[in-house]
Amino acid sequence: MEKLRFYFALWGAKAAGLVLRILRRGGTYAPGKLALTLCPDFLARIGRPETLIGVTGTNGKTTVSNMLCDILESWGLDPVSNRMGANIDAGAATALVSAASLSGKCRKKLGVLEMDERSAARLFPVLRPDHLLVTNLFRDSMRRNAHPEYIASLMEENIPKETHLVLNADDPISSSLAPLNSRTLFSVDPLPWESPAQENLVQDVRICPVCGEAVVYDFRRYHHIGRAHCPECGWHSPAPDYQLISADQESGRMTVMESEVWQEYRVPSLEIHNLYNALAAVTLLRSMGYGAGEIADAMEKLSVVETRLQSEEIGRWKLTGSMAKGLNAVACSRNFDMVRHTPGKKAVVLLLDDVFDEKTSSENIAWLYDADFEFLNDPEVVQVLAVGVRCLDTQLRLLLAGVSPEKIKAVRKASDAPGEVDLASCEQVFVLYEVYRLEQAKELRAAIGERMRKA
Amino acid sequence: MKLEYLYPELGNLYGDGANLGYLQKCLPEAETVETHLGDKPAFASDPEVVFLYSGPMTERGQGIALEALRPWTSVLLARLEDGLHALFTGNSMELLGKSITDGDSVLEGLGIVDLTSRRDLKHRANSFFLGKAEEYEITAFNSRFSHSSPGEGLQSAFQVVRGVGLEPGCGFEGYRFRNLLGTYLLGPLLVLNPLLTRKLLAELGADREPAFFAEALQAYESRLSEFRDKKRELD
Repeated sequence: MEKLRFYFALWGAKAAGLVLRILRRGGTYAPGKLALTLCPDFLARIGRPETLIGVTGTNGKTTVSNMLCDILESWGLDPVSNRMGANIDAGAATALVSAASLSGKCRKKLGVLEMDERSAARLFPVLRPDHLLVTNLFRDSMRRNAHPEYIASLMEENIPKETHLVLNADDPISSSLAPLNSRTLFSVDPLPWESPAQENLVQDVRICPVCGEAVVYDFRRYHHIGRAHCPECGWHSPAPDYQLISADQESGRMTVMESEVWQEYRVPSLEIHNLYNALAAVTLLRSMGYGAGEIADAMEKLSVVETRLQSEEIGRWKLTGSMAKGLNAVACSRNFDMVRHTPGKKAVVLLLDDVFDEKTSSENIAWLYDADFEFLNDPEVVQVLAVGVRCLDTQLRLLLAGVSPEKIKAVRKASDAPGEVDLASCEQVFVLYEVYRLEQAKELRAAIGERMRKA
Repeated sequence: MKLEYLYPELGNLYGDGANLGYLQKCLPEAETVETHLGDKPAFASDPEVVFLYSGPMTERGQGIALEALRPWTSVLLARLEDGLHALFTGNSMELLGKSITDGDSVLEGLGIVDLTSRRDLKHRANSFFLGKAEEYEITAFNSRFSHSSPGEGLQSAFQVVRGVGLEPGCGFEGYRFRNLLGTYLLGPLLVLNPLLTRKLLAELGADREPAFFAEALQAYESRLSEFRDKKRELD
């Protein structure tokens, strides 16, 4: 009976996927959702590829998953993946349905599944990834994730014993996960252009994870990312196996040291978070036994996914769109940091309100006070537009960050925002947007671009 | 005049540090002092401390904070009875109660207020909160793993209009003990509620408008109208 239920779910999901594809409705979530509704243990029953890579963590998992898929595909390996869809159980189910035969066997040898860290309990024990890459663990939506220590404990309880971990040695939270599992670690050395003393409002590892005494950072990059030790009990950040020792801004390459041997890799972007992403992908592939030379060759053609970062020159201006993730203070702070370190006079358009809360509830705006809006209090940031229903809250946050009132504009309707951008005072416009506002951000950028063209 | 931030390394999970930051902006003449783990709390030795703040923390952090604070319980009680203003937000308000139970494990609280708390890491309660105090309405947010049962003598802080109180079915949220306000509401409570802040400033002897009062009031009123809208779901 249970087997029958599984087949019914599989075939139903396949049929649903087919219909949605014919209707050009995407279908990256619904078929899997249907399968899980009909057969709640569907993920435990459906065939998985011989080798399954899981990619999880707070920030960077989509970028790293896409990078891995691009590299593996360039080698003709054709992995099953959820790169076009959801990273929760329904997304994984949809991907596995698409790769399954009518009998439920997986027709692909390799899989790359992005896995939502909050869904660890529903994904890890049933999918049993052979390799699990954890990019980092930061604060995220308090409603879903509570706090990083909670997410770490959730992951810890659900990582299978046999899973090989690829971990960020510079993140004291995720690098401490499942200490009995085998692991390969990566780290980024301090780079010449980095300021060693970045102050962030959020710093989630201030006490020793072992004894609770204050930790000392030998180097702190941002938030809790860096190298730390405890003078009291001797705990320290783990030694990396793969170490990014330099990055060259002119050639766009990073040099990675492993066992006293170095290798250069081209990277799609030299922003520090993208260096971590590229290094994570390299480390995972090297730990699986792929050659450094072949990985380097494949990385020559990589680019950052267009939904994350877009840039164009229009007349005398540069127009940049960057995904900042609403409710995620760290992702926003990274973006604010990028803005302030970009030379020239800038206007910044913030499109960060949560889409779902706007429709049905009222967004918990506490995260605004975790995000480093203070970085926008910079002489070269000449204007900040707070756009959306929460514009008054964002305006107040900017004022408390020290941004002068004459630079701030609260704009409730997004369609009014392009007309409010002060093009005369700036050389560059940044549009920072929440994940689910990609289309709205595109429209906004198009309208600002139009004004630039006409000017 | 000094404002004390108790264990900021533990109690700043949800933008809560903004409470003291805002108060400091409202009271530029005051000095903010941070008490870290291992330090003697400033309230225990410095009579210039007029305001004490503690914010929400991880579950492990609650245990660490309790052990750090326990030796100072009687001094804290004496200062509170003497009128020290204090704000304990999120689950840090549980520290002052009798106990925090999580399955089979029980953390003994400081026992300053008659409150017992229960934690359940499998269930997180999220909601916006609309409440009434005597002279103003409160707008804020809840996001927590625990609930608390008040003892009979516990003085309530806010009457629930929308959202969850101290525990499901409880008609009030938070508690008061002299000039101490303990509340599950978290985040930048003082920024979100300029009328509460104005009252606090007056009680601290600074009868003035809070910083950026006009903008804060505008944001508060906009939030208030959303929270009153019955079509808007709590979470």
